[in-house]
Amino acid sequence: MTTVGPIQLLATSFFSTHHASAADALAGTERAPALPAYKLLAGRARRFTSLVTQLHIEVCGGLPPDAEPPINVFATCHGEIQTAEALIADFHANALVSSARFALSVHNTPSGLYSVATASTAPSTTITGANAIAAGWLEAVLTALDAGRTVMLSIADEPVPAAFKAAAEPVGVAAAFLLGRGRGRAAQLAIRPRTEQDDASPLQVLARIADGASREAAATVALGQIQPGATLELQLSQDAPA
Amino acid sequence: MSGGHVITDAAVANCLGTDNRTVFERAFAGPGTDADAFAAAQAFYAFPFSTALGIMPADMGPGAGEDRLACTATRVARIALASVRQLLPAVRAATGRWGAQRIAYVFASSTGGLEETERTLAPDPRMPVTSAGYQYADHGIDATSAAIAQHLGVQGVQMAISTACSSSFKGLASAIRLIDHGLADAVVVGSADSLCRTTVFGFHSLGLLAPTATQPFSRDRCGITLGEGSAYVLVERDTSETRRIAHARVSGLGAASDAFHHTSPHPEGLGGQLCMRQAIERAGLGPNDIDFVSAHGTGTLLNDASEAAAVARVFERSIPVTATKSLTGHTLGSAGLTALVLAIESLRRQAIPASLRATPVDDRLGVTVIDKLTSARIEHVLINAFGFGGSNASVVISQANAVGR
Repeated sequence: MTTVGPIQLLATSFFSTHHASAADALAGTERAPALPAYKLLAGRARRFTSLVTQLHIEVCGGLPPDAEPPINVFATCHGEIQTAEALIADFHANALVSSARFALSVHNTPSGLYSVATASTAPSTTITGANAIAAGWLEAVLTALDAGRTVMLSIADEPVPAAFKAAAEPVGVAAAFLLGRGRGRAAQLAIRPRTEQDDASPLQVLARIADGASREAAATVALGQIQPGATLELQLSQDAPA
Repeated sequence: MSGGHVITDAAVANCLGTDNRTVFERAFAGPGTDADAFAAAQAFYAFPFSTALGIMPADMGPGAGEDRLACTATRVARIALASVRQLLPAVRAATGRWGAQRIAYVFASSTGGLEETERTLAPDPRMPVTSAGYQYADHGIDATSAAIAQHLGVQGVQMAISTACSSSFKGLASAIRLIDHGLADAVVVGSADSLCRTTVFGFHSLGLLAPTATQPFSRDRCGITLGEGSAYVLVERDTSETRRIAHARVSGLGAASDAFHHTSPHPEGLGGQLCMRQAIERAGLGPNDIDFVSAHGTGTLLNDASEAAAVARVFERSIPVTATKSLTGHTLGSAGLTALVLAIESLRRQAIPASLRATPVDDRLGVTVIDKLTSARIEHVLINAFGFGGSNASVVISQANAVGR
């Protein structure tokens, strides 16, 4: 088993359009669908933003501010998938597309809007693909170990439109994490052989991390496949006594 | 960056050609030769406006033995494989050195398989769906990753990065981290983007497409020429063995955000300044050690002005600048690595490729644009890749045996 870390998990934020908390998501207790408030974006910056961008901004805004702007790692399995569908429909029907919508179509749209909103020139990257949660965690922890400063990891996805025929959840879900040095839970990553029990939806994985981080007991969460036949696992230590 | 990182092989394919030899011959031919490889946009699709595009040659593949790969039906996969097949012998050699599980695969792209999705959701008789039946797995940025990694025989960590036009340099940075932290000894870093209707209509909607071939840093510049292509590098841990076969060294990387506007560059190129300075410093060099800058150089009024301002602030001297997008078109997520592979060839040839159509150069920009093929002593090159979201990255590459100050 290969391990990476530890690093401190300093803070956690979670949002689901269909669940009031990570615990509710794990219990399957749904609420009336709710949209994020994404208050970090004001005025014109809010226009044309997609649900996945709003989700990212919501959970990023839910983390405590740091003295120094963190380095940012964003992760998303599907990216701006609803915007992609809208743009294709635009040019198919009208032979033109909305410039505002196109400008916000790239996977790093949340990253760009967040850096403008927080006036942060810190580096930012965006991890994507089917293993975005695992790869995002790996990127964030390695960056935090390198940089000697706080790293913010934000993971979010919106429902994939039916036309794409994807096997994805019909909910919007996001979680953000502050990683670095300081007072927090020790978080370590481990690469271990993959088992069938590792398969879980992004909602389940993010809820398990957020719920685990909110409890005092040690917790282990399979984050997803990181290389052929191997799973990346997050290991949270027992909460240190006050 | 801790330790050293060398590039033991590199491959590129774009509108100039489907293999390194052809691309390099044309890129280093200079103006007035057949370097100009752009076509009218209507060669790709019946767009209701005029612009040029850098379209891959029709004979790009798949090549022998590649059609068994599940992903080869899509355009972006065929574009990626044009580079992958060139890199295959070096990857096999690296597998012998390190073992398949110690070689990671990091892929970067801006649009991934979007072109295949367009064929399904916006059907056009001239653009039939190329796969046996549309599946979402063909759409994502990482749609080709598992198949190509398997084709290459690598079994290490797999990641996909998408930060618009800086994607491939962010991927390179991730690769370096994997090596530095002992999670890999070698990383195949790949990038590919295909032309697609969304990006052509999209950049047109922003008023950023040049009606004719792009003219970076020219007084007459009026926009981007979009292109498609792939670029791959094999980055390995620096050892006496890998240094002996290395084409170049990755000396320094820098990254920063503009924090200014989502699509418009900072007027003074703030993020560009920060990441260029960081890359040079991490290389253990000073600005005077850099022999030329391979600019992001998209050919838009604002982008070139912003980048020129940043270059002027960082170097405080006349430094040669070239814009390889005048040769390849803007290959989006693949742009950084495309320029990097051409810079490796600059190290080998000791020559700077010409920035085509740069004359008359915009004197107000204050940069020294290389408008003809220029021989020079070249030891260190700085390459920029800037993108939407104010996402900026710079890389310094050096002769394999070069050392910092």
